[in-house]
Amino acid sequence: MLEFKSVSKNFGNISALTDISFYIPSGEFVFIIGPSGAGKTTLLKLIIRDITPSSGEILFDGKELSNLKKKEIPHLRQSIGAVFQDYKLISGRTVFENVEVALAVKKVPKEEREARVEQVLKLVGLTERATLFPSQLSGGELQRATLARALVVNPKLIFADEPTGNLDPKTAEGIIELLLKINEEGKTVLVSTHSKDLIGKLKKRVLELEDGKLVKDSDPVKKEEEKEKTEDKDDKVEEKESQK
Amino acid sequence: MKQHIRTSFDYIRRAPFQALAAISVLALTFFVTTLLVVLLYSSHQVIRFFETRPQVIAFLKEDASQGEIDALRNKLAGDSRINSVSYVSKEQALEIYKEATADNPLLGELVSPSIFPASIEFSVRDLNFTEEIIDEVKGESVVESVDFTANLGSEAALGDVIQRLKNVTYYLRIGGVSFVLVLSLTSLLVLMVVIGMRISMKKTEIESLSLIGATNWFIRMPIVFEAINYAIIGVFAGWLAASVLLMYATPSVLYYFKDIPVLPRETADFFALLGVIFAAEILAGLFIAFLGSMIAVSRSLRIVK
Repeated sequence: MLEFKSVSKNFGNISALTDISFYIPSGEFVFIIGPSGAGKTTLLKLIIRDITPSSGEILFDGKELSNLKKKEIPHLRQSIGAVFQDYKLISGRTVFENVEVALAVKKVPKEEREARVEQVLKLVGLTERATLFPSQLSGGELQRATLARALVVNPKLIFADEPTGNLDPKTAEGIIELLLKINEEGKTVLVSTHSKDLIGKLKKRVLELEDGKLVKDSDPVKKEEEKEKTEDKDDKVEEKESQK
Repeated sequence: MKQHIRTSFDYIRRAPFQALAAISVLALTFFVTTLLVVLLYSSHQVIRFFETRPQVIAFLKEDASQGEIDALRNKLAGDSRINSVSYVSKEQALEIYKEATADNPLLGELVSPSIFPASIEFSVRDLNFTEEIIDEVKGESVVESVDFTANLGSEAALGDVIQRLKNVTYYLRIGGVSFVLVLSLTSLLVLMVVIGMRISMKKTEIESLSLIGATNWFIRMPIVFEAINYAIIGVFAGWLAASVLLMYATPSVLYYFKDIPVLPRETADFFALLGVIFAAEILAGLFIAFLGSMIAVSRSLRIVK
């Protein structure tokens, strides 16, 4: 699904990420933790090709992201549900319209769009807030609206950048529960946070960043094995297909 | 498509003064353009009028025989530079005189046909040929003198009359086209500024759309449609104002110019002329809108993104 191979990113003389390598298989729930400035947002920006790595490779669904042509970038972004720390909601549009625009971008027909938006707003508990504008929502509601926009396109991967950063513990817990529920439905979920308390209770894989370096991967071996298994499986399928 | 058009109207509704500025400039441009096009049409009609009516009158000598007159008439009719050749006898000349002096019948009663010379009237296809044709006709043995109706006073000023007509038309065309070009350029710049401002105001929205996978076209479409809306409204407003003004002025203009059809006399022809102008202006407006918005969007999106 997603693989970082010795990825580094420099902004001038400042090293945002240094030699990061990890592999995340499909359907996994991963926490990316680290203090502010550790490089979590840079990681998200690299995944959605908002920026390119200074060195190394990022593979998403087997495609090297640096090699993507400019016109292929929108397609990549449509397949990743990004939940931004600062929401990135459109202030002049209602919650419903903000979620709907993600489907319009994918050229989903109008009739289908309405049904899907209603469905996802129900999932995040914002049905009652559908006609409100972002300025009329609370922090938790804004976060859920962003999550709804990310979910509505049925993405392969959801990356939530600090989704609980500005929320009280109870609301934060609600958001994480929602993400877990989405993961149970088979989606790959990456959640970046600087709160270690939040992940204590959940036994999920944790990637820990510090000063742009990956200092801990809670389950790297198992994941490597899974990766090899997946690759073997793919090779066998390819062999069978070529024999046919 | 529908969604982009709806979004473009939302943009106008949310910043009406910028929209008003863009529409006003476009309306002014097309108001002036409509009037200038009609003016050019009228000047063309004036030239055509002089080119197609009898312009040259060759007065014949008293002793010219009918055979000689017919020979000259046939000769002129066969000349490719000349059209509409007609013979006016002494009696017909008297009738024309009487009609011209109908206000004072006494003047008509005092004269007899014998004092009016018979003449051959004709027009030239191109005013540039006039001088050489007159010289040729003057050389004919049966011709007493030659006159040019555009300046019945004297033949000596013939060149001046032709040149004046040509000059007026030439400067009208050059001046008119230049003025319209300057106004169009102003419209283009105002449109670019308005669109640029709009994009700056929507910086966050454009960034958000880009991050969720919107293509450049998805982002550009509502902005281009917005400019197209300005153009259509601006063209219509400018054209309508000019048309109302023309409708109001046409009876007086036609009365003043009498025989010269500076504007169409038939209502259907008049509206056909305005219709053609409107169609051409819509195309020009759409071109300005598309060009202006594309330049502005390309420039501004590079900065925003």
